[in-house]
Amino acid sequence: MRDKPYFAVVYMFVLTAFFSAILIGFARLTRGRVEANEQLNFERAVVQSFPNIQFKNDLEVHQIFVDNFEKDEQTGAYKYTKDGQLAGYAIPFSGQGFWDDIEGVIGIAADKRTIRGVDFYEQNETPGLGARIDEDEFRKQFVGKTLEDTDEPIGIVPAAQTPGDNEVHAVTGATQTSVRLETLMNQDIRTWLDAMQNEGVTP
Amino acid sequence: MSASKTTRQIVIDGLWKENPIFRQILGICSTLAVTNVVLNTAVMCASLTLVTAMSCMTVSLLREWTPRNIRMMVQTLIIAFYVIIVDLILKAYWPEMSRNLGPFVGLIITNCIIMGRCEAFAGSNPPVSSFTDGFFNGLGYSFVLLAISVVRELFGMGTILGFAMPYFSNPEYWDKWVIMVMPPGAFFALASIIWLLRSIKPKEAK
Repeated sequence: MRDKPYFAVVYMFVLTAFFSAILIGFARLTRGRVEANEQLNFERAVVQSFPNIQFKNDLEVHQIFVDNFEKDEQTGAYKYTKDGQLAGYAIPFSGQGFWDDIEGVIGIAADKRTIRGVDFYEQNETPGLGARIDEDEFRKQFVGKTLEDTDEPIGIVPAAQTPGDNEVHAVTGATQTSVRLETLMNQDIRTWLDAMQNEGVTP
Repeated sequence: MSASKTTRQIVIDGLWKENPIFRQILGICSTLAVTNVVLNTAVMCASLTLVTAMSCMTVSLLREWTPRNIRMMVQTLIIAFYVIIVDLILKAYWPEMSRNLGPFVGLIITNCIIMGRCEAFAGSNPPVSSFTDGFFNGLGYSFVLLAISVVRELFGMGTILGFAMPYFSNPEYWDKWVIMVMPPGAFFALASIIWLLRSIKPKEAK
């Protein structure tokens, strides 16, 4: 058997099937937990898009998310209610980054214009370059900026340029990530603005 | 590998004489990538040591059966198997760490140390000594990486494992070397440590 020419093929098939079977079983075993973690990751990003919300641990994040955020099926955004009052909107955005999908949430105040904060929950950009969009230094720039009611509600400009009222500085050395991030954020924010305007609530 | 080595030799070779990092300069990509913070490094080292030891043992168990011409495929399959298991465990039970390490856990598959040990040792030695060999090569990798990460985190952020260190965390005495936590800092730290460790040997030999 072992000196037959097809032995190598059969051997490889059997071995691959064996290891794959174990992996599939293991992946199923942990799937529940992995999915729960991903959901929590998303909830955390939604909550953190309003940086003034304080929380101590993951349990509180989930509690705040359930209590204060409600999905608006029409726009896909989350309404943030605080003490019975509408306090803002959390708008998820996603799209192709430089290497992989970038997914995040932007928090907008109740005036539908002022940015409260931005948080990312999925990105695989180049470590040390594009991945730095996830750092406070980059994200904090968005706080207090104002959406512009054009096709480009926000802008990401090179460090040499002075950022305008709706613009932030790009991460130096991460041109591709910045360009794509700008496009994907603008697309989803624009869609949301349109949906809001169609509902008759002009910003 | 001709004559079989004693356990003692395997241990000394893995940790020192044939240390994968500062003797063989293998697996440098992860050395540079995950050493800016001690905790990340420790998890990476534990993962790599586990994967290397288990892969070597499995390769060794199958060595009588594996046809020579497809042994590389088999090794890659086995290594990938253990790496995916480690990745899944991190994703399920330690999601923050999984996020911090990002793609680097998956990249353990391509770490030359593992395949190097499978090829050079596990393919022609019994399972138990292969396990020992993989394990101590992993430890040899780990202690160098941990040394680098301690230097980088201490100089770059003034902390170790996130705890503020006296002197280094005081901005009056110590200006944080931001470059140490950035990728170029890894080159300086790695080069210095290789230089330091290599300069020890001649003294011993004299």
